[in-house]
Amino acid sequence: MDISLFSTNNKEANFLQQYSNQIKINGLAAIDMQSTNQPQNSHTSTSRSSGSSEPCPAGTKWASRLLMECARAVSEKDSSKINHLLWMLNELASPYGDCEQKLASYFLQALFCKATDSGLRCYKTLTSVAEKSHSFDSARKLILKFQEVSPWTTFGHVASNGAILEALDGETKLHIIDISNTLCTQWPTLLEALATRNDETPHLKLTVVVTANIVKSVMKEIGQRMEKFARLMGVPFEINVISGLNNLGELTKEDLGVQEDEAIAVNCIGALRRIEVEERGAVIRMFQSLRPRVVTVVEEEADLFSSSVNHDFVKCFEECLRFYTLYFDMLEESFVPTSNERLMLERECSRSIVRVLGCDHHDHDDKNGGGECERRERGSQWSERLKEAFSPFGFSDDVVDDVKALLKRYRAGWALVLPPQGEDIDQTGVYLTWKEEPAVWASIWKPSN
Amino acid sequence: MPTDLDNSSTASGEASVSSSGNQTAPPKPTTKKKRNLPGMPDPDAEVIALSPKTLLATNRFVCEICNKGFQRDQNLQLHRRGHNLPWKLRQRSSKEVKKRVYVCPEPSCVHHDPSRALGDLTGIKKHFCRKHGEKKWKCDKCSKKYAVQSDWKAHSKICGTREYKCDCGTLFSRRDSFITHRAFCDALAEESARGHTQTPTQTQTEVNLNSESDPKDQSANSPPQPTPQPPVPSQATTSSVPSQSAGLLSSPMPITQNPVTELPENPTQTMEEAPAVTGPKGNCSSSNSSSSNGSTSSSVFASLFASSTASASLQPLQPPAFTDLIRAMGNPDSTTDLAPSSSVEPISLGLSTSHGSSLFGPAGQERRQYAPPPQPAMSATALLQKAAQMGAAATNASLLRGFGIMSSSSSSAQQESLQWSQRQAEPDSASVAAGLGLALPCDGGSGWKELMMGSPSMFGPKQTTLDLLGLGMAAGNNPSGGLSALITSIGGGLDVAAAAASFGGGEYSGKDLARGS
Repeated sequence: MDISLFSTNNKEANFLQQYSNQIKINGLAAIDMQSTNQPQNSHTSTSRSSGSSEPCPAGTKWASRLLMECARAVSEKDSSKINHLLWMLNELASPYGDCEQKLASYFLQALFCKATDSGLRCYKTLTSVAEKSHSFDSARKLILKFQEVSPWTTFGHVASNGAILEALDGETKLHIIDISNTLCTQWPTLLEALATRNDETPHLKLTVVVTANIVKSVMKEIGQRMEKFARLMGVPFEINVISGLNNLGELTKEDLGVQEDEAIAVNCIGALRRIEVEERGAVIRMFQSLRPRVVTVVEEEADLFSSSVNHDFVKCFEECLRFYTLYFDMLEESFVPTSNERLMLERECSRSIVRVLGCDHHDHDDKNGGGECERRERGSQWSERLKEAFSPFGFSDDVVDDVKALLKRYRAGWALVLPPQGEDIDQTGVYLTWKEEPAVWASIWKPSN
Repeated sequence: MPTDLDNSSTASGEASVSSSGNQTAPPKPTTKKKRNLPGMPDPDAEVIALSPKTLLATNRFVCEICNKGFQRDQNLQLHRRGHNLPWKLRQRSSKEVKKRVYVCPEPSCVHHDPSRALGDLTGIKKHFCRKHGEKKWKCDKCSKKYAVQSDWKAHSKICGTREYKCDCGTLFSRRDSFITHRAFCDALAEESARGHTQTPTQTQTEVNLNSESDPKDQSANSPPQPTPQPPVPSQATTSSVPSQSAGLLSSPMPITQNPVTELPENPTQTMEEAPAVTGPKGNCSSSNSSSSNGSTSSSVFASLFASSTASASLQPLQPPAFTDLIRAMGNPDSTTDLAPSSSVEPISLGLSTSHGSSLFGPAGQERRQYAPPPQPAMSATALLQKAAQMGAAATNASLLRGFGIMSSSSSSAQQESLQWSQRQAEPDSASVAAGLGLALPCDGGSGWKELMMGSPSMFGPKQTTLDLLGLGMAAGNNPSGGLSALITSIGGGLDVAAAAASFGGGEYSGKDLARGS
């Protein structure tokens, strides 16, 4: 069923591709003409590091050029140019095409939202559509398939699990506070590691904090499976799910039910970026108050934060585009073209893109409008925040080896990049890179002093 | 005669002990117990206790000519011949050489106790390295670490070459993907529900509420032994067992079928097993689930048996059992009610199981098809409520978990009830299932085995061996050889049969099977 659906889509896409190739020439000619008139154009095109290492080799990077042009027009509120470019993008874009077409499609959507000030509504619609079509089954399939073909998520899992196991070694009562939307896919291997350790199997309490509605709906089922699996592994286990929060900023120490005799680990996978920018410091201080043995932080490497502070839409757009170009390229090479899972992941991105680019900043303050914040920061920026409360801690050789072994099992293009030794002590954490570009950042933090 | 089994130190992973010990202990088909107590040495043997240093010294016997070191004197003597030095090989005179056994230097280890000493030096050495040593050999490919070089070599040869197969049919080349998949696969959900039917659930509260698992939980690894009632008279060993459930204990099968039988079981051990016996004989579960002092009597065997219950469900005799369950739940004291029905039942159970699992390959499916629709004697809601009340009263656990506890009483009955709960599509049916699963082993080793062997078709020798090898290696505390693994599995298979038989009162068939091996 799906395949036939996709094949039609592909035909459509091919058609579009052919059709668009003709238009592309005109479009690019137009852009080129404009770029001679506008000096800042050259600046942006050179500053994009992905310009040389072409993630989507199928064609030139027409999408990003057009999109950037359109972003500038939106920023300048040049409505005739906006209309022209939106129209052109609309002709070229397709969510079922190649990387460029997909990027064009999803960023066009965000630009349109921005231009028409309809971002929040669009975001809500997209979210509710996603929630309706969402089920435990589809979520499970999606996340497991993604893990199978790409280390994007497993990288953080392996790094964090290694760090947690080492930090809590020898403790008899473990309490892991898992702030993530990863559906507990991180934990089976940890449970297995606990079960096969030499010493006595400790008691593990897992408190999962989820905010995404999509995830909330399946957590009950997931929790039950985790319990079963823990029994199977012979790990005394307890799982609590905290899903009543609209926003991670609301999370309190009391919610987490930490106890005196527990050795606590706080595991943040893609969690910090979901906290409202203003509340990030407070949440990190709350973590500190838990007196955890270790805090593991994994974030996707993109800076959508500085530009939002300056309200620099173009810069934000550019960085967002850079990040998702990398991500879509990764998906393209990891999944088969007809993969349903890939399409779902891309749709997740489309929501995120609309959230970041299509919604104005004041929308983010609207707690009820809520949703995920999505203001990613780079590892170095997170480090600045985390250093207020914690000290960075290096990954052990063992964990580094584990991560390397993990990456070996995926296709070429992935690498682990360690901070340069000694030179820059401010560098913290390790990076997963895709084609030399940092993609995911993982780090370990322990209480200062 | 070992009378002072180290009761307290068996805490961590009996499975690992037995598996690592398996290689030294002669591979005997342990029909009944997974816990065949590796190292039950000849009482007359000379017990050697070496310090870790001496034990790990690789070249204790050094040639004075070339300084080459040898692990054994015999080897040195052979070497000396090359130098034309005087040499003397020890004569194999049974009279002269007293059998030697070796204890583990680690005081907290079960094999530290002379009664659990291992029969050869290499064995104890490997044991010591594996269990108490640093894992310094690391596989390049998967990063898995080993303490013993030979283990590492063996693993390196096969790393990445084998595939892990889930019950759902999906193949995995990577262990971690397999593990993650396994946790989320529907196969586990079904299986653990099934597995649960075999295991006494009384330790659930301990598992959940205690910060540390009760050492007893883990040491009492004896398989669940749904035994016929009245007690089979022939097993005198159990007569001393302190019974938790009003003297309803019947003899544990393992003792009769274990080749080690000639070594009298020591009282301590039997005591450990006692609760385990009470549990699964869950005819009286409604009473013993609340009174138990907790032992998870699950094991490989439990899980095997668990899976095999698919066959049980094929039997047309469930509705009675189910009804009995309900009766039992309604009246906690009516334990005897169940006995007749279950003992009348199936000699055929044991026999059918013994044919090997291929019969039950798609058991999960078949069960659904063939199991007769349950005829609850109580309404669904009433049953749930009843169970909930009892569960709450008995264990303070959640209501639905309480149901799990209660319904563990009879394997077939519970299975029915599980199905029933699914069919009813009660909003809480999922929780019920979880509750049902709660009694799974809290013992790492057995968990592993269950994971490995969870496939309904586990008795197909090929697949069992493959899985066992792959995961056994990986888990690091499983039988280290294909042979022993296979034997274990066969033993397990027989256990299943025996248990199934005994469950139905078919002691005869169980024995028969054991002999058949």
